[in-house]
Amino acid sequence: MPPVADVGAGAAGEWWEIEPRQHGAWERARELWRYRYLWWYFASDTMTSQFRRSKLGWVWLLLRVAGPVGLNAAVFGGMLGVESGGPPYFLFFLCGTTTWVLFERSLLFVTRSLERNRKLVTKVYFPRLILPMSAIAPGLLYLGILVLVMIATVIYYFRQEGVWYVTLRPELLAAVAAIGLSLLFTVAVGLWTSVLQARYRDIRYGLRYVMPFWMYFTPIIYPATAIPEKWRWLVALNPMAPIVELFKWGTLGQGHLTIPSMVTALVLIAITMISGIWFFNREEAASIDKL
Amino acid sequence: MKSLIVEGVSKRYWVPKAQKSVTAESRFDRIRNFFSVPLARELLGAQEVWALKEMSFDVEHGTVLGVVGGNGAGKSTLLKVIAKVIAPTVGRVRGKGRVVSLLELGAGFDDEATARENIFMNAAINGIPRTVVLERMNDIIDFAEIQEFVDTPLQYFSSGMYLRLAFSVAINMQPSILLADEILAVGDMSFQERCLQRVRELARDTGLTVLFVSHDMEAVSRICDRVIWVKDGTLHRAGEPEDVVTEYQNATWELLTSSEKPEDKGSSHAGRYGEILDVKLLSADGRVIGSPPRSEDVYVRIRFRTYRARTRARCAFDLFSKGVLVFRSAQPELVRVGADMAYEAVAKIPANLLSETTYTISVGVTLIRGEDEVHALVVNKALAFMVYRETREEVSGTLHRTGLIDPQLEWNLEVKQHAARG
Repeated sequence: MPPVADVGAGAAGEWWEIEPRQHGAWERARELWRYRYLWWYFASDTMTSQFRRSKLGWVWLLLRVAGPVGLNAAVFGGMLGVESGGPPYFLFFLCGTTTWVLFERSLLFVTRSLERNRKLVTKVYFPRLILPMSAIAPGLLYLGILVLVMIATVIYYFRQEGVWYVTLRPELLAAVAAIGLSLLFTVAVGLWTSVLQARYRDIRYGLRYVMPFWMYFTPIIYPATAIPEKWRWLVALNPMAPIVELFKWGTLGQGHLTIPSMVTALVLIAITMISGIWFFNREEAASIDKL
Repeated sequence: MKSLIVEGVSKRYWVPKAQKSVTAESRFDRIRNFFSVPLARELLGAQEVWALKEMSFDVEHGTVLGVVGGNGAGKSTLLKVIAKVIAPTVGRVRGKGRVVSLLELGAGFDDEATARENIFMNAAINGIPRTVVLERMNDIIDFAEIQEFVDTPLQYFSSGMYLRLAFSVAINMQPSILLADEILAVGDMSFQERCLQRVRELARDTGLTVLFVSHDMEAVSRICDRVIWVKDGTLHRAGEPEDVVTEYQNATWELLTSSEKPEDKGSSHAGRYGEILDVKLLSADGRVIGSPPRSEDVYVRIRFRTYRARTRARCAFDLFSKGVLVFRSAQPELVRVGADMAYEAVAKIPANLLSETTYTISVGVTLIRGEDEVHALVVNKALAFMVYRETREEVSGTLHRTGLIDPQLEWNLEVKQHAARG
């Protein structure tokens, strides 16, 4: 047998130590890298397992993304006649909803990541942080589908109206940044919720309950300018609002972006993230005892 | 050179306060509980349970350490702490090199994925990259003997195949420390034997340290260099396999025989015509013993009393091992007994018949009055005992396996004919 090269966990001859609390942020970061082969495994597992044993498989993905988007656009844009303030309502809604769907879908997967893998978590060791982090994979899949639908819509409107509503320009990078921010925010919130979900299964139901309210507090079905002036500060406390606006600004070139709201969002995301990592590392072990 | 040091490890669990009675909970109670004030029970608090208490020991490089103890003694918790699956509440574990654990059959395996995919996944969990696994693939598959089933999903595997795969993957991860929790109980004899030999080989050649939890005392005393006995979350005894295993067995069988009252399920030791008083195991010199040596005769003594005259009696017992009836033995003929008398029936089990394993004995006394009034007194599992072998030297390595019985047969080997070579 050829010896395994000096890779992997606790490579040959290295002393390790187990104590009630794990410490050493650098140690743990290195460990995440050593276990990098697991990222892909958990990511693909979360993606494929949701439609395992279903006959339609990936078709469900399309239906689950396109259905609600089409329905919402039809109700708000068509029946209720909500104003988009420029571009066709369907495209407006699509751009608004993309980062939101990414956030909402991923957060549910991230929240359940520890619970879903409890059989593994209670029997084998690996850095647990991989679980919530790789659980954003299905959200990325939804994102991919939405982007495809968006491209198709833009091409459709060009052929109908001769206008390119989205063009290749530097501002598109802002849209990419919005996607990155919404993923960061997902993981940040998920670090809290996944540990809590391991102990109290209420978290998932709570999230499902809160999500629709949160969506209406985010300028998705309506433009941000439609919010009365005196309530704007409330929206500013919602990091998803500037993220959604940033994405709309990057794609459609239309969006109500203010520097204070953007900064507030960044600070909020950073605080959630740092406290999330702290909380996760602190409570992960205790939660696993209760899984 | 030390390879694993456990220092004062304790583990506390918070468990919900015990309900009044688990079995008495009716469907109605369950619905009522569901609608009870949320969080109320949570706030009423939980009670703490110490699964491990101040456990300290260390293991030398290249040692196979047996871990024995009753169910719930803390053996698995100990292994989980060392495997880093659960964090200790107090204390510290230090060790050297890669730890690979076989804590439970199927942990880290996905039923719906194929054997090959599972090998990669398991390697990933142990932090080993694909390229290394590819190199090892053939070793893993060969040792597991699953050549034809490499691309079959695990859900179609037999439990034996599953075990072989799990074990093969684990030892091919080049562990420095292998944690095996009761894992070999599933495989067939020949594979078990290969695993145990492989473990020994690796310990000798590569300095692999093994923590081997098992209830199979024969295997423990055969492959372990040292044994620790975990009891109530503490380290009760540590030492040479022979000593600890014998002591552990004696304690266990004492407990078993004293706690099991004759009124076991399905038993009716007393009836209208008489009652069974007790059942004991005796040595040749008439002492009551718990675990007889294989090389000596042992006696089963059944004491019973009768209430009625003009009765005939016949005693019998069934000897079970591993859930199998090994044999039934009965008095050859009915014996006339009188009213209100105590009797004692003794049956001799000859030396060198029983195997080095555990047995239970169920006893029956048939009382017949007149022509057709038949009454049976029965004590199920009246005795539980373990036969032990005093000398190990006579056992020749792998040839020795424990069957249900192990009679000494007469063997003869003689030359019949000179075979021409070539």
